[in-house]
Amino acid sequence: MSILLEKIVALSGLAGEIMLKNGAETYRVEETMDHMAKACGALKVESFVIPTGVFLTVAEPNGRSLTVMRRVRDRTINLDRIAKVNEVSRGLVDGRIDYQDANARLHHISQERTGFSLLPSMLASGAVGGGTAILQNGLFFEIAAAFVAAMLVRYIAHIVSRMNGLPFVFEFLGGMVASFCGSVLHLIWPHLGSDAVIIGGIMPLVPGVAITNAIRDVIAGDLLSGLSRGLEAVLTSVAVTMGVVIILSLNVW
Amino acid sequence: MLGIKLIAVFLVSASIGILYRIPRSLLVYASLVGVVAWLIMYYTMLASGTVVLADFLASIAVGIMAECLSRVLKTPATIFIIPGFIPLVPGGDAYITMLHMVKGQYASGAAMGMQTLLTGGAIAFGIFVSSTVFRLAINNKMERSCQYVDKS
Repeated sequence: MSILLEKIVALSGLAGEIMLKNGAETYRVEETMDHMAKACGALKVESFVIPTGVFLTVAEPNGRSLTVMRRVRDRTINLDRIAKVNEVSRGLVDGRIDYQDANARLHHISQERTGFSLLPSMLASGAVGGGTAILQNGLFFEIAAAFVAAMLVRYIAHIVSRMNGLPFVFEFLGGMVASFCGSVLHLIWPHLGSDAVIIGGIMPLVPGVAITNAIRDVIAGDLLSGLSRGLEAVLTSVAVTMGVVIILSLNVW
Repeated sequence: MLGIKLIAVFLVSASIGILYRIPRSLLVYASLVGVVAWLIMYYTMLASGTVVLADFLASIAVGIMAECLSRVLKTPATIFIIPGFIPLVPGGDAYITMLHMVKGQYASGAAMGMQTLLTGGAIAFGIFVSSTVFRLAINNKMERSCQYVDKS
């Protein structure tokens, strides 16, 4: 069983690219490419992954080696795909699936549309906002308003990603919308507070993946990736805060 | 009231799971991690009254549960960590900080901001500690098995 070097590199490179695009930790991308290439018969594998690119060198037992670089531009968050690629890699290492099968599955994973359409994800975002408002001891109408605010935040994410928005624009606009909803509610019914609404509205904007990956990258020793993801988390929080603060200061004035 | 809040925490964790598209079959596990972590935070809060300690203990629990579940179910631990710690995030404190700052009450704003930062740091460090301990244990085990393979 010998697979062409080009094919090994293409397979592991694709796996690494899918994982990095969908928000995997750096060490997981490196280890997955390593395991997959070795399972296909490579002698030596060197990989270097940063949040915006994948470098991979594979050497064969006869001395030939090949290097590819994959640039990753648009990053999303889809943990389902990471789990699926992880499953393919485990199957390949254990010998449960062969090269052809793994290749077909990876192409299927990279092209399939997983997850939900706009309305269900808006409802999920609304549920985050409403649930947070309950935890903040909100009244019934405040909880309902937080639900609507968080749904609007998600809708804005949809619009911004459609217009190929720059990073942090969506978080800034989301913070403004959440704060706006809370302030308007307080203006219409002064006995209702805006606190629970705004807190619920900004909850879906918490950069959960960036925080988690930053911590896990630093633990694994990938300081470069850890720092840049940590910076991403900090800048996201600052963008949300500025959005909220600008509307609030209008309100106070 | 506690029952309603528990349902709310479950809802928040599950919805975060849906937003980040974790596999549907794992949604229940991930949400339960969030509920258990929030309960730990709630009762530590009642007993000690310090947010930082409560969030630290809860996020250690998140890390431990996530690493155990990821070994058992053979999936990345991230899937359980993110829905687990989102209900712990000090959103209310952050909002009060902003409110104080906007009104020009910088002293109380800075105090509240410090508390928010410390709470966030406690969450991050809790996950850091539990994941590091797990990684140390795994590396130790792997090193032994590797030495065994080399000799044979």
